[in-house]
Formats: sequence, C-alpha cells, structure tokens
Amino acid sequence: MRIRAPKDFWSGVMFCAFAAVALFAACGYSMGSAGRMGPGYFPLLLASLLGALGAALMGRSILVGGEPVARLQVLPLAVIATAICLFGLLIEPLGLIVSLAVLTVMSAWVGAQFRLAETVALAAALILFCVGVFVYALGLPLNLWPSM
Amino acid sequence: MDVISNLGLGFSVALTIQNITYCLIGALLGTLIGVLPGIGPVTTVAMLLPISFTLPPESAMILLAGIYYGAQYGGSTTAILVNIPGEASSVVTTIDGHAMARQGRAGPALGIAALGSFFAGCAATLLIALAAPPLATIALQFGPAEYFSLMVCGLIAAVVLARGSLLKAIAMVVLGLLLGLVGTDVNSGARRFNFGMTGLADGIEFVAISMAIYGIAEVVYNLEQKQAAKMVTGALGRVWPSFADVKQCAGSILRGTGLGAILGVLPGGGALLASFAAYTVEKKVASAPRQFGSGDIRGVAAPESANNAGAQTSFIPMLTLGIPGNPTMAMMIGALMIHGIAPGPRVMTDRPGLFWGLIASMWLGNLMLVVLNLPLVGIWVRLLRVPYRLLYPVIIVFCCIGAYTINNKAFDVFVMSFFAIFGYVALKLECEPAPLILGFVLGPMMEENLRRALLISRGDPMVFLQEPISLAFLVLAAGLLVVMAVPAIRIRREEALKE
Repeated sequence: MRIRAPKDFWSGVMFCAFAAVALFAACGYSMGSAGRMGPGYFPLLLASLLGALGAALMGRSILVGGEPVARLQVLPLAVIATAICLFGLLIEPLGLIVSLAVLTVMSAWVGAQFRLAETVALAAALILFCVGVFVYALGLPLNLWPSM
Repeated sequence: MDVISNLGLGFSVALTIQNITYCLIGALLGTLIGVLPGIGPVTTVAMLLPISFTLPPESAMILLAGIYYGAQYGGSTTAILVNIPGEASSVVTTIDGHAMARQGRAGPALGIAALGSFFAGCAATLLIALAAPPLATIALQFGPAEYFSLMVCGLIAAVVLARGSLLKAIAMVVLGLLLGLVGTDVNSGARRFNFGMTGLADGIEFVAISMAIYGIAEVVYNLEQKQAAKMVTGALGRVWPSFADVKQCAGSILRGTGLGAILGVLPGGGALLASFAAYTVEKKVASAPRQFGSGDIRGVAAPESANNAGAQTSFIPMLTLGIPGNPTMAMMIGALMIHGIAPGPRVMTDRPGLFWGLIASMWLGNLMLVVLNLPLVGIWVRLLRVPYRLLYPVIIVFCCIGAYTINNKAFDVFVMSFFAIFGYVALKLECEPAPLILGFVLGPMMEENLRRALLISRGDPMVFLQEPISLAFLVLAAGLLVVMAVPAIRIRREEALKE
C-alpha cells in the first residue's frame, strides 16, 4: 500500500471528513419516507454520496499515480485568517477605524515586501475611503469610534 | 412587435440618470478589475453584493452585470499591451495580441478587440431579447420533476466543462449542495447542521462563503506566486484599425460571436470557454493559418468577440431558468435573492422592468465601453503598475466590511475566515471552487423540487424517468458522464482545457 496520488488522497480524506460530520449530524434528524421527506432525507443522501466519492478518490490514489501536494504556506493563511476574526471581534466594541487599522496592518505585514511607511499610508487611505463610502455615502450603520 | 415594446420598457428603465450612472460605474469598475491581474469579476461581484443591497434591485443588477462584461474589455487591454491576461478569458488574446503590440500594431489590436466585443455585445443582447421569452414560457410549464432533473443536468454539465479531475469536481458539487442545506429547513422548521450555533439558523451566508473562496483564499494563494515585473511597451500606434483589417476580421468576428453566444448559454460555459474555443476554431477555419501566433489580427478578433458574447449569453439560463452556469451567475442569483426576488422564469413576467432594464443596460454598457475604453487605455496601463502588495489588503478589507455589513453580524466574518481556510486548502488540492458555489446556490432549490416531485408521485422515484422532459435531461447528464469516462475523450478534453 503506497499513496501514489497525494493530492487525490488528501482531497478524498477532506471529503470523507465532511461526509462523516454531515452523517453524524443528519442521524439526529427525522428521515421520513421518500413520499414524505423529513429534514434528514436529502442531507443523508448527499452525505452518503459525498462519502462514497471521497472513498473512491482515496482508493484511486493508491492505484493511479498523481502529483504531490505543494507545500502549504501556513503563516500567511494563519495571520490573515486571524486578522479577519480579529476584525469581527473588534468592530463592535472598538469601532470601524481601529479594527480597519488592525486588519490592514496585519494583512500587509504578512506579505513578502512589507514597508511600514507605505502600509501606514495605505491604512489611512483605506480608512478614509471606507468611512466616506460606507458610512457617509451608503449610510451603513457602523460605529466609527470605540463605544463606551 | 413584442420585442420592441419590451426593449422600449427596458430602455425606459436603463436610461434613468441613476441607472445610467450605475451602468457606467459597473462598466468602468469591470474594466479596472479586468486590467488588474489577481482580481477577477467573481471576486468583485462578491465584494459588491453587500453594497448592492442598499440599491434598488434594477440598479443592483445593472451594476453587477456591468462588472462582468466590463472585465472582458479590460482583460484584453493588458493581454495585448503587456502580455498579462488580466482575466483568464483573455489568455488566448495574449498570443496574437501581444505579438501585434511588439510589431508596433498595438493600436489596431486594441481597436479590433473593442469593435469585435461591441459587435458581439450587440448581437448577444439581441439574442437574449429574442430567446429569453420563449425559454421562460417553456420553463413555466416545468413541474418539480423536470426542475430537479434540469438542475442535475446543469450541475453535471458545469462539472464536465470545468478543469481538473471529474471526481473531485462532482464531490465539490455534492459538498456545495450539503453546505447549502445548513440552516432552518423550510418544511419542518428543523435546524440542520447548526452545531449549536445560533448564527447558522439562517444558513451559511452566501456573501461570506463566496468572498471567502474567491476573495480571501485567492489572495493567500496569490501571495505565494512570484510577482514578475513586466515591461510596458511604448507607442500604441494608430488606434483605429484600417479598413483592410476590419474586412479581414469580419468573418472571425462573426464566427467568434456565434460560437461564444452558443457556448455562453451552456452550463459551465461563459467567457472563458468561449475564447479558447473561438481561437481554436479560427486557427482551423481561417485561410493562411500559419500567421497565427505571430501577430494575426484575426487571432485577436475571434476570441475577444467570443468572450464578450459568452459573458452576455450566460445570463440567459440565469434569467430564464434561475440556473447559474458559472460562479459569476451564481453571484447574480445571490444578488436577486438578497433583494427577495426568487430567481426563475417568473422574474420576466413579475418584474419586466428589472428583466428588460438589465438587457437594455447591457447594450448601453457595451456602447459606453467602446467609447470610453480606447481613450482611457493610457490610464488603464498605468494602473498595472499598482503592486499586488498594495492591492491585496484592499481586497481583504472590502471582504471583511462586506461580510459584516450584510447582516451586521460578526458571526458572518468568522464564517468567512473558516471558509477562507477551506478554500485555500481546496485550491492546494486542486479542487476547483466553482462547482461548490453552484451547488451551494442550488442546494435548497434542489431539495425542494425533489421533495415535491416525490410527494406528487407518492414516493415513486420512477417519476423522473416517466416524464419525458425530465428523462431527456437525465439521459443527457448520464451521457455526458459516460462520454467523459471514455479515456480518449478525457485526454482530448484535458488538452483542450490546458493550452
């Protein structure tokens, strides 16, 4: 047993994982019958199909060769995902301006050619633009400053 | 004449000051993102969905549609001048277009691209106006069984025409369908797949998942790619093509338009497939094909006409059947649903102003693009010097604000973060995200139609095979799958899609 197509294999694992979670959750919903479908019927059908497809991908990856998985760049992904979550956490208590500044600086920092002065200018320009367009022009209900 | 009175109504909607403005903004924004590599129409439409919520539905659709066809114009500009396809649908234009630019004939190449696109735009607009009403009339007769089979067929066809592994693409469709089911079941009120999170009661927010995959995940993926600095060529030459050029290209423009119009209607089609197919056909059909690749003006005219025609006719299934053929159309359906309009054949009868206004605005937008684009070429090229390190934080910021403001819920921002990670992993594993988005949009509709069809037939699944139209769709879907499984054809498909 050797995995010959790692990309296919790991895709299969991913699909099987989603299918397993869906199957586990869908078991709790009533199935009903084909003529009177309950909320569990279609999800169960789809989850089984997804599991079968995932298993087929894993099976094929042992028989047929394929490409290796390119290295995952964990740092940019982790920093950007964290920055986005931080934005979600900060926007209500601290307001748009502070949360935008944090988001812009963190996102720019993780890129290959980070320049501090340029990033500060970019953040300032973005904050001006967003406040102008979203808050004043479109009238979206966003806090600008920390709410006390 | 029905068509004329309908188009009259359309122009009365499209020609209001407000809608002309949104059409212009959409077309210009589309050109802008068409010029910039690393940001495409899907991302842009996704980022604008929350803003479009604040507009009336007519203006919102006009704005979003402008971005899609505007991007086709913008993509060709950079393809010709700097050998960078701003959009995937302009990749083939680089071959002959940039060769022309190196010979000092950039002007005529840009001119013929714009003229061809404009002709294709006019023809496609007319085609939509003529073909959509009868199609919608037919679609109104469809029962739940027909609709279910149509969706199966549409999804399979979209998958077959997508790049990469068929098995992975089907799995992505199924996963998309499942994700579409998250939230409260409309029939029983049961809360499905919410894992105890109240934020998921209304399902996964479409805006959040699409921006995560087409905005954030793409940014992270692009950050890894090496950004090569490219040179901008000097003189444009004469912008307007000579009479001889136009005469030489007339056939190519006609063929490109026809092919693009047909391929645009197909699920999985649209601008990208149209441009590749048109270039391949043109090489086979044209006289003296050896000039292709070394600056033949026909190699610019055909794909550029085709991608614009395809971009526009891909609206036909979206508007008449409520079925998206490509991710951008999935976004348009999302935009309709944000405004509480159920996509499908009833849009045309219930909201004729929206339907015909959108069609009229497409013609108007094409006209604006031809008039504005050529004088603005210099500005577009200068924009190319904007480095990606300044561009990508802007994308991230707009995605975050968009995800938050759609419901004013921080939860949607977290959902976006989660699916950004998923989208990046999927890209790394070469699982195309387009089928997932199509499945996500169709999931609830598909379940509803399956449920109704089986309710009527008292649980007998044979109903899908007994109704003739439904049977035809299913046979077509099965046929496509079988054909794809034949190794010889599969290899040819891979070659055709690779280029």
